[in-house]
Amino acid sequence: MSDTTFTWTPRSPLADAALGSTAAPGSIAAPGSIAGLPAVAGVSAVVRDGFGLATVLARKGASAALAARVRERFGIDLPGGPRRDAAAGVAFVGTGPGAWLAIAERGGNEFAETLRRELDGVASVSDQSDGYVLVRLTGSRVREALAKLAPIDVHARAFEAGATASTVASHIGVTLWRLEDEPGAGPVFEIVMFRSLAASFWHALAEAGAEFGFAASAP
Amino acid sequence: MSDSRGRISRQQPNRLQRLGVVDRSQPLNFQFDGRRYGGFAGDTVASALLAAGVRLVGRSFKYHRPRGLLTAGSEEPNALIELRGGARREPNTRATVAELFEGLEARSQNSWPGVGFDLGAVNSLLSPIFVAGFYYKTFMWPAALWEKLYEPLIRRAAGLGRATHEADPDSYDKFHAFCDLLVIGAGPAGLAAALAAGRSGARVILCEEDFILGGRLNGDRQLIDEMSGRDWVWQIEAELRSLSGVRILPRTTVFGAYDAGLTGARTYGALERVCDHLAVPPAHRPRQRLWKIVARHAVLAAGALERPIVFGDNDRPGIMTGAAVRTYLNRFGVAPGRRAAVFTCGDDGWRTAADLKHAGVAVEAVIDSRTEADPALVRAAELGGAQVLLGSQVVGTAGWQRLSRITVRGGGRTAQFSVDLLAVSGGWNPNVALSTHLGGKPRWSAGLSAFVPGDLPRGMSVAGACGGAWALGDALREGAKAGAQAATAAGYAAGSIPSWSCAGERVGLTPLWHVESSTGKAFVDFQHDVTSEDVALAAREGYRSVEHLKRYTTLGMATDQGKTSNLNGLAIMAALTERSIPSVGTTTARPPFTPVSIGALAGPHRGKHFRPTRLTAGHDWAKERGATFVEAGQWLRAQWFARSGESSWQETVSREVRAVRAGVGVCDVSTLGKIDIQGADAAAFLDRVYINVFSSLPVGKSRYGLMLREDGFVMDDGTTAQIAKGHYLMSTTTANAAGVMQHLEHARQILWPELDVQIVSVTEQWAQYAVAGPKSRELLQRLLGDALDLSDGAFPYLACAEFSWRNVRARLFRISFSGELAYELAVPARFGDAAIRAIMSAGASLDVTPYGTEALGVMRIEKGHVAGNELNGTTTATDLGLGRMMSRKKDFIGRVLAERPGLTDPERPALVGIRPVDGSARLYAGAHFLQIGATPSLENDQGYLTSVALSPMLGTWIGLGFLRRGPERHGERIRAFCPIRGGDAEVEVVSPVFFDPQGARLHV
Repeated sequence: MSDTTFTWTPRSPLADAALGSTAAPGSIAAPGSIAGLPAVAGVSAVVRDGFGLATVLARKGASAALAARVRERFGIDLPGGPRRDAAAGVAFVGTGPGAWLAIAERGGNEFAETLRRELDGVASVSDQSDGYVLVRLTGSRVREALAKLAPIDVHARAFEAGATASTVASHIGVTLWRLEDEPGAGPVFEIVMFRSLAASFWHALAEAGAEFGFAASAP
Repeated sequence: MSDSRGRISRQQPNRLQRLGVVDRSQPLNFQFDGRRYGGFAGDTVASALLAAGVRLVGRSFKYHRPRGLLTAGSEEPNALIELRGGARREPNTRATVAELFEGLEARSQNSWPGVGFDLGAVNSLLSPIFVAGFYYKTFMWPAALWEKLYEPLIRRAAGLGRATHEADPDSYDKFHAFCDLLVIGAGPAGLAAALAAGRSGARVILCEEDFILGGRLNGDRQLIDEMSGRDWVWQIEAELRSLSGVRILPRTTVFGAYDAGLTGARTYGALERVCDHLAVPPAHRPRQRLWKIVARHAVLAAGALERPIVFGDNDRPGIMTGAAVRTYLNRFGVAPGRRAAVFTCGDDGWRTAADLKHAGVAVEAVIDSRTEADPALVRAAELGGAQVLLGSQVVGTAGWQRLSRITVRGGGRTAQFSVDLLAVSGGWNPNVALSTHLGGKPRWSAGLSAFVPGDLPRGMSVAGACGGAWALGDALREGAKAGAQAATAAGYAAGSIPSWSCAGERVGLTPLWHVESSTGKAFVDFQHDVTSEDVALAAREGYRSVEHLKRYTTLGMATDQGKTSNLNGLAIMAALTERSIPSVGTTTARPPFTPVSIGALAGPHRGKHFRPTRLTAGHDWAKERGATFVEAGQWLRAQWFARSGESSWQETVSREVRAVRAGVGVCDVSTLGKIDIQGADAAAFLDRVYINVFSSLPVGKSRYGLMLREDGFVMDDGTTAQIAKGHYLMSTTTANAAGVMQHLEHARQILWPELDVQIVSVTEQWAQYAVAGPKSRELLQRLLGDALDLSDGAFPYLACAEFSWRNVRARLFRISFSGELAYELAVPARFGDAAIRAIMSAGASLDVTPYGTEALGVMRIEKGHVAGNELNGTTTATDLGLGRMMSRKKDFIGRVLAERPGLTDPERPALVGIRPVDGSARLYAGAHFLQIGATPSLENDQGYLTSVALSPMLGTWIGLGFLRRGPERHGERIRAFCPIRGGDAEVEVVSPVFFDPQGARLHV
């Protein structure tokens, strides 16, 4: 029947963003820069790809059963608050009462189907693998870049590894979390925002990071 | 002694060789009013002008009187200058805070043709009529002249500088900061507080308005631990910079205190002038940065401002506050005059005399209004060659454009002194503004003769001169204690509180507010030209309340918010009305403490970036196709796809409509809201939020639904499909997507928490395309192949399916907004671009035509489908012709209130179609309906047109609207009257369904 042939070429909403560009760090001594920070400038952003992401919403009265199921099937202690817990390439990020984002490093749209099967009866699952864009941020000045965007405290003691927050960044709704520091790269954050807003977010991020030197790369 | 005042260069005759912390290795050139001058790095425009011998820096606001520098800080009322040129030209910059940079250009303001010869000074001759309330009295009548004559005249005469009309070339930034302790002010108290807290490991932010830390320690010559104030500041600053928890923000003004959150941490607004001291900011550096600082505790160490004394002709250039004189001498190494006098009512003035002497400036006289002064001070002054006049006052001054003589009266004698500098010390006013932003009232301290912070906002304490601790030792002690306390309260071990030693000071004062025996204009508010006589006039005319005084005279209402004038005005009013100062009251200080540029408040959100933009997955494809986009909320949607040769958008839109109705078209409908609704009670939930029944909807089917607000008016419409058992997908209009989601969350969480229902927006997950027209099935069948059978029997109207298409999970809905055979195809958004290209390719031989929102709108009007114009928040289901959908067998949101008499009134305007009687006449949305022959009036209003379109299928304009008893009036002729756009047409009332009224085209 079909007389058309084509291939599914995925397209990122950031396909046209200036990935790979590096803005020069500010060249004057910054009044207000934090004492003791290394002079090496840097905010690095990587647009993640290939992940599977789904919203997981606990069924009525099934929170305990859901937690038990997640522990059993994924080896993860389902966070009861704004925390992230991960094991074997899968993470659960608490975004609200009875609500999580579940993220698999790989798996794309199939991850939601897997989750739907595994959590049948205890949670409602909706595939959002395409609904969100996931950006990983690293670098010695990443906290300052984030401070320009979001009204939350991401200080090392206030926002420990595993902490998450749903907030706004430059008027854009985001959920972000902190991962363990990468040796030599400084703190690591991941941030997700709706796909349609990714280009606007990227513009704001690049502007915020430019002062410190902003390096970006596609996966 | 003149040999100690060495001259650096021809251009800087008043520069002192051995004083000041300016960097003499970095000479800078600048221009003022077109003349070239020299200065040094570390100068302000004010100090450099003074060094160059420039005394006259501007003209006053009302009388155009010559004015010089009164202060050396941000409270300056006189020296407002226009800084820079071109797109960076900024008016009303205070010369006292503008840092000098190479090539700086500045101009005086408020004078024409020049500051030296100003025609506006004629106002001074007219001064008897330019008194307080002048505008109110003179320009009241006739009112018609206000806009045309008075206001332009006043604005021209009163202009404070000119803003540029060009776009600001610089960028602005915002920063959110959090800390345990915010220290406001880096004078001795603030530095001590920051150090005490910082040593404990607490997170400290230290904000200093100035570009160097130290506050009064820069302007005075006091010793701490036997080292100079400057050396002490450098030592403390170095230690603070070594502490990882401490952030130092110079050039940063905390301009407002705001609300506290649940944790008790309070928010403060601060402006950092990141690059104001540079000609052009370096790449990627903002010009200014707005800081939102959330602090668990704040120490207000904002210091105090010296107040002038009100006496006749006290505004002549060369008369400045004593503290300013000391700052120019000690910090900038500039002698503000050669022969000086000091006029004081307290011990502080004697310090100025000593510093003048130390700098080599001849002090002719020290005039103290008190009858007694400390003998040691008197002896020191006399030894320096000054005449000491106790119990005396300056009653007048003279000089052409600068001070040349003062007249002093005391003990029955009058004396004159030839001086070019008069340092005036009226006492100190604590800088209480930030303590009052949240409603706290300052408290009058009789002992200090000043208002001090009263009830402080929770989480704020005060240290140093800001709380009335004038003496340096007290300020250091208070600061260290406050910092340590804040650290302890935040859970840090503060350890031992740092302490320093310094010499005791005399801080005696007997306030002198106003030299009543003086003649000549005695200025209270320099920036607004308010004199003591204006205050007296206000008192005589009954404007005695502090709020009336302020508004009647404009005292304290200039850009300096009366920092040097408010208390003097109050004191004069108190004396005139025989009340105490606190009983006259204080006016409220509001943010910002000093002016904040609009650019900083906007930050990076300028132009197109004012708010975020949402783009669909097919956006790039649409752009390639030459789409014209329209903003739909934050979304950009393709409005139409013009082809070359088309002469108007209407031609384009008509072509797109005809192509859909004759063949097949495709439209990106991804922006419509999509909400996943799941759980055992999902169907029951839908029954409660829609007016019609959904529990009977089978799997694999869609149904049109209408929902009401709680008040009975229509909220939104759309289709909901059951795509798998218990898994519903609701669609909403683009405009209401977020509102509906919020409405459903409210219903789920608050109204019926007992239901097992889970909802989440999946709008962003799916790219969705409407494929519409008689050939849509053919196109899709080619595209989908055997993934899905699209025959009418297998996939009838309102069918839906989720299926695997070339290994991608896709969804298809047979729904139609155009009235044609139509489908909506959804794929995961990452494949949205590939899908639209595949649709175009599969439909190439069918001449598939992309269409935009405008053609979509035309077709829905042709079909009488309601949309946003009709779902406008004031219409009921019955108004829309959908009253029959309201189920009587169940309850739903809005049911009860929809039955209110006003909402069921048969006289309510209801949906009709409208066609012009003259087929060529144009219709205008917004036109009101009138009976033919009726006078256009509110009483005769019969309803209004909501949507209009030029219908390519009917060949005329058509419209939808709400007409009183409309459905009963089909065939009647009425008038559609739009006075705003000149529309006035006789129209016929018809069925709202203009095209294919039987719906035959849907079911094929």
